[in-house]
Amino acid sequence: MDTSKKEGQMKPDDLPEEKSTRRTFIKKLSIAAAAGSAGLVTGGCVGGDNTTEKLGLKWEEYFKKNYRMMTDKEKKETVTRLEKLAKLEDDLNIQMSTQEPREKVLFGYAFNISRCKGYMDCVEACVKENNLDRNSKTQYIRVFEMDSGQQDPTRGDGKYHHEVPVENKYYMGIQCFHCENAPCIKACPTKATWREPDGIVVVDYDWCIGCRYCMAACPYWGRRFNWGEPEVPKDEINTKQHYLGNRKRMKGVMEKCTFCVQRTRQGKLPACAEACPTGSRVFGNLLDPDSEIRYVLKHKKVFRFKEELGTDPKFWYFMD
Amino acid sequence: MSRSYDFNRDQEGIYQNQMTRTKTVMKKILLRSGMLLLVLAPGTVFMSGVSSIASSGGVMERIHHADKPYDSMKMDKAYHQQVKTVRAKESWQGGMFRVLARKDAITRFRCSVCHTDKVVRVKDAQIFTHGDIEINHGKGENGLECIQCHDEENRDFLSDSSGKLIDFDHSYQLCGQCHFRQKRDWIGGAHGKRDAYWAGERVIRNCTSCHNPHSPAFKTKMPETYSLPLDK
Repeated sequence: MDTSKKEGQMKPDDLPEEKSTRRTFIKKLSIAAAAGSAGLVTGGCVGGDNTTEKLGLKWEEYFKKNYRMMTDKEKKETVTRLEKLAKLEDDLNIQMSTQEPREKVLFGYAFNISRCKGYMDCVEACVKENNLDRNSKTQYIRVFEMDSGQQDPTRGDGKYHHEVPVENKYYMGIQCFHCENAPCIKACPTKATWREPDGIVVVDYDWCIGCRYCMAACPYWGRRFNWGEPEVPKDEINTKQHYLGNRKRMKGVMEKCTFCVQRTRQGKLPACAEACPTGSRVFGNLLDPDSEIRYVLKHKKVFRFKEELGTDPKFWYFMD
Repeated sequence: MSRSYDFNRDQEGIYQNQMTRTKTVMKKILLRSGMLLLVLAPGTVFMSGVSSIASSGGVMERIHHADKPYDSMKMDKAYHQQVKTVRAKESWQGGMFRVLARKDAITRFRCSVCHTDKVVRVKDAQIFTHGDIEINHGKGENGLECIQCHDEENRDFLSDSSGKLIDFDHSYQLCGQCHFRQKRDWIGGAHGKRDAYWAGERVIRNCTSCHNPHSPAFKTKMPETYSLPLDK
C-alpha cells in the first residue's frame, strides 16, 4: 500500500465520526503506529518485536470491506494478512481458504432419529473442527434426549449425562438448518450474515456488530454469541480454516454452524457426519439425484422441524 | 386501392371515437375498483405474501427440478485412497461403488492356517476355540451359531443359507439375507455412511466397519461430552 496515503488516513481529522470506543481505539492505534514508524526511522524494529508490522496489518484489517463486496484480490489480501497476524500474535501457521461455492451444489443434511444413540461424538468433533470457545463450552450442535412420541426438543433433555442410549428414548440433534428463507438473515441490520449460493448461511465476523437480533430471530436456537474472547488451547487449534468458517472469532460476534465450509467445499463430509459412529448423519448435494441425501428424501419418511414457519430449512429428520 | 383505404380510415375514425368513449368508462371502472383495492389493500398484501411463499416453492422445488447427476469427480480434491477398499458387488444408481475392505482388519486371517486337521492341545484351547468371542446375534431361539455364517468346510470364507461362498470383504451379501431392508437402505445411502468424502468416488463403510458381526447391536456407553443448559 502507498505509505503517503496511509499517513494521510492516520490524521485524526480524516477519521469518520463513530462510537466512542471505536474512536478511542483508532486514536490509540494511530498514536502507536506513529510511535512505531518513528522507531522505523531511527533504526528499525528491535529483534523479536513485531509491533509495527502487527499494527500495520491490524490497521488494514480494520478498514476492509464486507466479504461479499471484496474483489478476489482483496480476499487474497485479507487472508494473507490474517495468516500473518496469526503467525505474529499466536505463532500459528494457519492456512486460510476463501474457496468459493461450487456450481450446481446445494448442501443438505438428513438426520436419522431412529439410529442416533446420543453418543455425542458429533458435538465433540464439531468443537474441535471449528475452534469453538472451550471457556464457555460453546457447541453448535445440541442433542436432545426425547421421550418417544415427542417432537418438540424444548420438552426433551438437552443436558443429559448418563449412559446412552436409554430404553424408550430417542435422540434428536439440532444445529443450524441453513434455511433457504432464513429469518436470521432478514434480522441482521448490517448484512453481516447471508446465504451462499451453495446454501450455507455464513457470518462475516468482521462485519457483525453483536446485536444478537439474528439469535432472537432464529426459531431453532442455531446461533451462538461470543460473550468473551474465545479460548482454544494452542495445540488444539485447527489450522485448516476458511474465512467464513472456523477462523478466529472475536469477543462480541455471532457464530454458527457453517456445514464445515472449510471441509465441505473441498468435497469432505462435515466433521459431525464423519464422526458419527452410528451413521445417523447423511450429508450431500441436494441437486444431485444420485446422492445419498436425495435417496433419503425420496425413500424415507422425512420431516423438517417447525416446517410450518416457512423457513424452508435444508435439514431433514428421517426414520428407518 | 386509395379509395378503399380512405373508407377504411373513416371507419377507423368511428371506431376510435367509440374506443375513447369505452376507454373513459373503463377508466371510471378502474378508478372505482382501485378505491376498492385501497380498502382491501391490507388483506390483499397479506394474501399475496402467503401466496408468494407457497408459489416460490423454495428448496423442494429446486430439488424436484434438479434431475441431472452432478459430476463430483471433477472436484479438484477427489478421493484419496488412504484406506483399503474393494469394489462392491452391487450396483448403485446404475453405477458402482466401493466398500471398506475387511480382511485386513481380521488379525488372524487366513483362517485356514489354523483350521487344519491338527489336534488342538488343551492349553491352547482358549485361543484356538475363539473363547474370547461372545455371540449375541439373534434373540432367544433365533440366536446364531458360528457355522450359520462361517463356512464349515472352507474357513477362509463365509457362506449364505444356500451354501454359496462369500468373501469377508463382501459380508453385506451375507448380512443382507436377513437384514434385507437395511441392505437396501445401505446401498441407497440411508443406512451406514460414506467414508470421509461426500464427493468423488463413492466409498462407503462395510457392515462390519460399524457392527461387530458377533454382537452387532450398539453398546450403551457414556456420551463423549455434555451440554450446558440452554438458558445459562
